[in-house]
Amino acid sequence: MTMLRGLALTLLALLFAAAPAAAQGALTVQVTTEPPGLDLTTNPSSAIATVVFYNVQEGLVKVDRHGKLVPWLAERWYTTDSRNYTFFLRKGVRFHNGREMKAADVKFALDRAVNPETKHPYRVQYENIQDVIVKDDYTISVTLKRVEANFLWTVARQGSVIYPREAVDSLKAQPVGTGPFTVADWARGDRIVLVKNKDYWQKGLPRLDKVTYRFIPDPNSALAALKSGDIDVSAFGLGPENVDALKKDGRFQVILGDTTNDVTLSMNNSKKPYSDKRVRLAITHAINKEEVLKGAMFGYGKILGSNVDPLNPYYVDVSKREPYDPAKAKKLLDDAGYPNGFEATFKVAPQYYYTVRSAEVVVNQLAKVGIRAKIQQIEWGQWLAQVFCLKPCENPDYDMSIIGHAEAWDIGNFANPKYYFRWDNADFQALFKESEVTVDDKKRRELYVKMQQMLADEAPAVWLYMHPRLVVTKKGVTGIWKDLPIPSLDLSEVGWQK
Amino acid sequence: MRRYVLRRVAAMLLTLLFVSLLVFMVVRVLPGDPALIMLGIEASPDSVAKLREGLGLNRPVPVQYAEWAGRAVLGDLGRSIQYDVPVAGLIVSRLSVTLPLTLMAAALMVAAAIPLGVFAATRHRRWGDYAAMTLSQLGIAVPGFWAGLLLILLFSVKLGWFQAGGFDGWGRGVGHALKSLLLPAVALGLFQFAVLARTTRSALLEVLREEYVKTARAKGVAERAVIFRHALKNAMIPILTVAGVQLGQLMAGSIILESVFYLPGLGRLALGAISARDLPVVQGVVLFVASAIVVINAAVDMLYGVLDPRIRYE
Repeated sequence: MTMLRGLALTLLALLFAAAPAAAQGALTVQVTTEPPGLDLTTNPSSAIATVVFYNVQEGLVKVDRHGKLVPWLAERWYTTDSRNYTFFLRKGVRFHNGREMKAADVKFALDRAVNPETKHPYRVQYENIQDVIVKDDYTISVTLKRVEANFLWTVARQGSVIYPREAVDSLKAQPVGTGPFTVADWARGDRIVLVKNKDYWQKGLPRLDKVTYRFIPDPNSALAALKSGDIDVSAFGLGPENVDALKKDGRFQVILGDTTNDVTLSMNNSKKPYSDKRVRLAITHAINKEEVLKGAMFGYGKILGSNVDPLNPYYVDVSKREPYDPAKAKKLLDDAGYPNGFEATFKVAPQYYYTVRSAEVVVNQLAKVGIRAKIQQIEWGQWLAQVFCLKPCENPDYDMSIIGHAEAWDIGNFANPKYYFRWDNADFQALFKESEVTVDDKKRRELYVKMQQMLADEAPAVWLYMHPRLVVTKKGVTGIWKDLPIPSLDLSEVGWQK
Repeated sequence: MRRYVLRRVAAMLLTLLFVSLLVFMVVRVLPGDPALIMLGIEASPDSVAKLREGLGLNRPVPVQYAEWAGRAVLGDLGRSIQYDVPVAGLIVSRLSVTLPLTLMAAALMVAAAIPLGVFAATRHRRWGDYAAMTLSQLGIAVPGFWAGLLLILLFSVKLGWFQAGGFDGWGRGVGHALKSLLLPAVALGLFQFAVLARTTRSALLEVLREEYVKTARAKGVAERAVIFRHALKNAMIPILTVAGVQLGQLMAGSIILESVFYLPGLGRLALGAISARDLPVVQGVVLFVASAIVVINAAVDMLYGVLDPRIRYE
């Protein structure tokens, strides 16, 4: 018996032995989803960008924390006609494998993005590239098939990161780049550990020695981990319902900012009754967006009137053009031949919490004008197949849905009649086409304003609200981006207050 | 005894064959084309077709099954689509969390349930019995994930004694590892503990009514010896049956608690693999867990034979 007791005591002592204190140069970040591989150039998942983009791999041009394009691996560039671009590379930038980055690597990366064999997720964006020519080790020029006003944005996106030719086969598990951190360990299902790149080309950065990403899918667990001190930063995991309490808690700081994620109520424009503009407008007028934002997001976020988000330089507020007006909604339904409303189904994927919450509020509001909608929750794979109509799907199978559209500069989706909205409007398509080849900033802005107004008036969808950026950190963590103009969790300037 | 064991092993192998067929078919029925999900929304039909070919999804189903089962027997469960590493390796690394978690939960369950059951049975219809049964009723009523959250709130958030979740691996010492598994193990074993305590109580009560117990008492054997040497040994068969089934249930139940405590175990591997349509991993994990349960049940069956010689001659 004495031996047993001794054993039990030893065990207890072992259990309660103090854990080593966290080093000041280390940061533990909670994210919800584990990335499916780490290759930005073959998979569009934003979970990959959260870990790899700007931390491990970088591009010629960077989108900074304010959403502005800034020179990065290219220290400058010039173009006279928006068709021929010449980039001058920074000298002395080394990849993690020690070799210097040269123009040939840039050519390799761009050529690979254009090549249909390589499964690049955003190949469409690179199709306009005609030729990439290496002038010398530090100069490279790109010729486009036609003028493209947004080409620098293409070069700044996550699919345009530069990596060494010899490491192309290991990108999925061991991405190599020029970034401030390198991937040290990936315990699948649990964590990814990044460590400081001592030879980073930007002097004095990064400020952290080690970053640990932990995958915690359950929001309650994430909150508990934050409160018990296991994690230092919760990047995307916490819902808006926790914001008020966390703001009052002196141990934490809450960072609320803007994103490019437009939570959109999509309608199947190819299907009755949504093919009728009056019905779409009726739905728009029936929805009280303030109430949706309050009910689904505890008021955090911003009301939208079109697909352009507040981080876009051409953003104008068109949310008042077709305001909440249930009487008008009823009249429009009457005119369209639905005096008694109609039945509808919302197909939403509960994998994103805001979809179901928003749909619940919207369904209630629609009922007040006679539209009897019900919610059908389907799993993400099914959503992609039925609603988003992934190939080989011919026609999307849905009435209405709600999902966040996270890409920046994605107004082109409404100029694409094959996109799952199935909105086919020649005038809008012409406007968009013009905006793509208009280089003059003032003219281009005018076109964007016109497009936003047209979207609000034609109502191919209802833009509910911009999903807020919500990051919670321990007090003392500095340098985290407030807004999220591009999917990334840039940790290069993040550190602990001295 | 040998014939009994052989018969049990043959039955086990047959069940395994059936299980593997079932696993294979069920996974085939899952909607969603893995090739499409892997390649993402911009994939060309061409590359989807190529990938389907590469994954062997175009061949006849019986051929696919035969190949898969054949390799599985040799321990080769294929490669994970998502992670691009062997499935068997993934399962083994995840087992280093799930197995100790399950065993710890089982040990805690047995260590608490049997004494409590004995305690209740020996105080039949007195306050001690009622208190113990109320306690176990509570254990049955409270769902494990909720108990887990409460434990986290109390011991991690409020008191700060334990981390709120996660598993740092065995590299940081056995003590540290066991400590991070303690809360989830308690939450996991709670329900099974309650069931087992009730089983122990009723099994023991049953035996205590038997003639030989009365005889032992009449012969002047000390009460302690009557209960532990004579009665409990014979009550072990129903207790063991329940405990054996429970071990399997613990393994399955760990899926939810692994999410609450974000432990990188088998359950979360399976969940993640299902949403990523990582077919080889889904098949591998389900086959592994099902096989483990079949083997445990067979082992329990054979233990009966040891405990009660009557059974093996039936």
